[in-house]
Amino acid sequence: MRIRAIYPIARADFLERVRRYSFLVTLLFAVYLGYAAATGKIALRLGNYRGVYTSAWIGANMAMVASCFITLVGFYVVKNAIDRDRVTRVGEILAATPLTRPVYLLGKWLSNSTVLGVQVAVLGLASIVMQFVVAEDPHIDLWALLAPFLLLALPAVMVTGAIALLFEALPILRGGIGNVLWVFAWAFGIALAPLTDHAWLDFTGLFATMVSITRAASAAIPDYNGEFALQTDFTRPAVVATRLRWPGIQWGLPQVLLRLEWVGVALAFVLLVAPFFDRFDPARSRGRPRVRRRSRRESPETATTFASPTSASVQPSRSYAPARLSPLGGARSWGLYRMFAAELRLALKGYRWWWYALVGGLLVAQCAAPLEISRGPLLTAAWIWPILLWSAMGAREARHGTGQLIFSAPRVLLRQLPAGWFVGVLIAVATGGGVAVRLLLARNFAGLLGWCAGALFIPTLALALGVWTASSRPFEGLYTGLWYTGPLNRIPGFDFTGAASGQGTIKYACLYLLLTLVLLASAFLGRRRQLLHA
Amino acid sequence: MELIIEGVSKLYRGMVWGLRRFSLPLGPGVLGLLGPNGAGKSTLMRILATVTRPTEGRALWNGTDVVKSPDILRFTLGYLPQDFGVYPNLTAMEFLEYLAAVKGVEAAAARKRIVELLELVNLTDAARRPLGGYSGGMRQRVGVAQALLNDPQLLIVDEPTAGLDPEERVRFRNLLSELSGERIVILSTHIVSDVEAVATSIALIDHGELVVHSAPESLLQSVSGRVWEVVVPSLELSALRQRYQVSSTAHRSDGVHARVVADHAPVSDARPLEPSLEDAYLSALGAHRGQAAPSGGPA
Repeated sequence: MRIRAIYPIARADFLERVRRYSFLVTLLFAVYLGYAAATGKIALRLGNYRGVYTSAWIGANMAMVASCFITLVGFYVVKNAIDRDRVTRVGEILAATPLTRPVYLLGKWLSNSTVLGVQVAVLGLASIVMQFVVAEDPHIDLWALLAPFLLLALPAVMVTGAIALLFEALPILRGGIGNVLWVFAWAFGIALAPLTDHAWLDFTGLFATMVSITRAASAAIPDYNGEFALQTDFTRPAVVATRLRWPGIQWGLPQVLLRLEWVGVALAFVLLVAPFFDRFDPARSRGRPRVRRRSRRESPETATTFASPTSASVQPSRSYAPARLSPLGGARSWGLYRMFAAELRLALKGYRWWWYALVGGLLVAQCAAPLEISRGPLLTAAWIWPILLWSAMGAREARHGTGQLIFSAPRVLLRQLPAGWFVGVLIAVATGGGVAVRLLLARNFAGLLGWCAGALFIPTLALALGVWTASSRPFEGLYTGLWYTGPLNRIPGFDFTGAASGQGTIKYACLYLLLTLVLLASAFLGRRRQLLHA
Repeated sequence: MELIIEGVSKLYRGMVWGLRRFSLPLGPGVLGLLGPNGAGKSTLMRILATVTRPTEGRALWNGTDVVKSPDILRFTLGYLPQDFGVYPNLTAMEFLEYLAAVKGVEAAAARKRIVELLELVNLTDAARRPLGGYSGGMRQRVGVAQALLNDPQLLIVDEPTAGLDPEERVRFRNLLSELSGERIVILSTHIVSDVEAVATSIALIDHGELVVHSAPESLLQSVSGRVWEVVVPSLELSALRQRYQVSSTAHRSDGVHARVVADHAPVSDARPLEPSLEDAYLSALGAHRGQAAPSGGPA
C-alpha cells in the first residue's frame, strides 16, 4: 500500500475545494455560528441558567456548536469527495494507477476532516474573540478554551468525514436517500449516549460536557432542576449563575481515550468501506438505470452495428446514404402545457409502481382517517415521500450536464422554469391532496390556507435552492431538517403544513406564502443569471 | 441569411482573454473553424450559441444583435456543444421529445422528425433503451440528432465527430454537406480532414484572434509549391524538425519520408508535393506565431 499517496490525494482534494466559491459560503456559515454562539442565540443552557463565561464555558459552548451543527451541515459540504472525481472523470485516471482503495479513501477522509476542521478552527478563533468581548472573566486559560475543540469537536467532524465517504461509496446511500437519512442518523447519534448513559457512544462530546457541567451546576445552583441543552433561543436570555464557574472537563487518560476512540471509529469506517467502493468502475455501479432484459445481453455497440454480414464491396455503405429530413415549416408550439407535460414525464421517469402505490395509499388514508391524523402524521409522511423528486428541480440541468442544450433554446425562462415549478406544485397537490379536500369539506379555510402555503413553499424552496446551488443536496438537507423540526416535531412556525400552528395558522401561512414569493423571484433571477452569464 | 460577428471579445476571470476583437461575416455554407487547443474556438461557439455573453462586441443574426436578443437566434439554432450530458433514465426517443418541447417544436411534427433523426444517426434500434446505458459514440449521435430537431438555420457543432467510429464520422460529414445548402453551419474541430471534406470556408483561430478566413482553395494556394517530401535517415529527423516545419512523417525501408513546408526545397533531391489543408493550417499558424518555417537552403 502506497501510504505516501495519502497526503497528495488529501492536498489536491483540499485545494480543489477551498478554491471553490462554495467553500467561502461554508466558512461564512461557520462565522455565523460563531456569531450566534457569541451573542447567546445558540448556547448551552441549564434551564433558565447558564454558567459564568469562563474560558472553559466559552470553549465548551463553541465546541458544542461546532460539534453539533458542523457535523449536521458539514456532512453535506463534504459528501462529494468521490463524486467530484467521478464527475470530473479524474477518477478514471486514478483507477488506472496502482492506487489502492484504502489509500484513496484515507486521502479523501483526511481532506474531508481538514475542510471541516477549518470550520472548527474558525469557531476556535471566535471563542477567543468572544472571551475578550464578553469579558465576564478576564482570565484566559488557553487549554480550557481550546481543548474542547481539539478533543470534542475534531473527532466528531472526523467521524462525519468518514461517514460522508461511507455514504458516497455505497450506491444506495450515494444519492438523495443518503442525504435524507443523514438527518435521522445524526439525530440518533446525538441522542444515543444520553439515552443509553454510555459515554463511549458519545460521538459529539455533548454527553461528556453535559455530565461535567450538570455535576458542577448541582453543586453551585440551589434550585437547579437538572436540565441541560444546547439551545437556540432568540427571545429568552439566560440568567447567569454567578457561583457556577465551571472549570471544564478534567482531561485524564480515560477521557482522552474516549475521544480518541472516535478517531479510531472514523478510521475503521474508512477502511471498512474500502471493499464497497467501486473504484470508478461503471460496471460495478448500481446507479445505472435498468436495461430491459433483451438489451442487457447486447453490448451498447453491438446493439447498433449493422447486423448484415454483407461486405462494403457488395453493398454500398450506409455512410453514403443521403440524409432525408422532412422540413418542419412553421410547426411550432409554445404553449406551456406541452412543456409542462415534458417536465412532468422527466420528473417522474424512473419511479417504480411501489412508489406510486405508496402515494395512493397515503391519499386514501388522508381521506379516510380523522382530520387531525390526516393533517398531522399522514400529511407529514406524504410530503417527505417525494423529496427526491423535488430536490432535482432547478439542479437537474447542472447535475446531468444538459444546461447548454436547454439554455440555448428560446423562452427557457418563461416556459421551462415555470413548467418545472408547476410540476413540483402538482406533486405536492397530488401527494397531499386528500388533506386539502378534507379541510375544504370541513370548511376549515385557515387550515386550507396553511396547506396551500405548504404546497407552494416546498417546490419553490426546492427550485430556488436547485437553481442557485446547482445541486440537490442543499434542499435535501435543509428540507429534511425543516420537516423534522416542523411537521414531525410539531413546532409552530417551522411547521410549513400549518397543522401545528394553532391560532397562528393564518399568520404563519402568510409568512410562508411571502417566503414562497421571495424564493420564486430568486429562482427566476438565478435562472436568468445562468442564461446570461453561463 | 447572414451572421456577422463584430469585434467580439471574451475576458475570463484572471484577465485571460478567450477571444479578442474577433470579426467574421458568414453566409450559407459550412465554416470550418480550426485552431489549436485553447485557441478560443469553443468560446466563440458558445457565444454564437447564446450560451455565453461576450465581454464586448456583437453578433448580428440577419441584422439583430443576438447578444441583446438571444431568443431571435434561439428559434432557429441547432447547437451541439463539445461537452454535454443526457438524462440517463430517459430513452433516446424520450430525451429528444423532451428537447423538442423545450425548443417549441409542435408535437406531431416532432415525433416524425425524431423518427427520421434516429434513423439518420443510426440509433433506431437503440431508441427505446435508457441513455444511461449508451456508449460515448452513441450519446454523441443523440447530440447530433438533438441539434437538428428544430430544422435549424444556424447549426453550430463543436467537435461533433469526437467519439464517432470512422463510418459514423463519414456519415456525419455527408450530413453536414447536405444540410449546408440553405443554412449556415459552423463546424469546430481538431480533425483537419473533417474540415477538408465539408468546409466551404475556413477560419483559423489562435490565442483568441482570427488568423485567416478564406476558402479552402485560397488556403491551399498559399502553400502551393512549398510542400516537399524529404527522405532522411531516422537519426537526422530531429535536426530536420528543428530547421523546417514538418507536417508528417512515415518510416520506410529507405528512411523517414518527411513532409516539409518550406519556401525552397530543403534538400536537392526533395520532391514537390500537392499541398494538403493540414500543410496550409500549420504554415498559417506558424506564420502567425512568427515561427514560420525558415526558407534556408539545402540541409
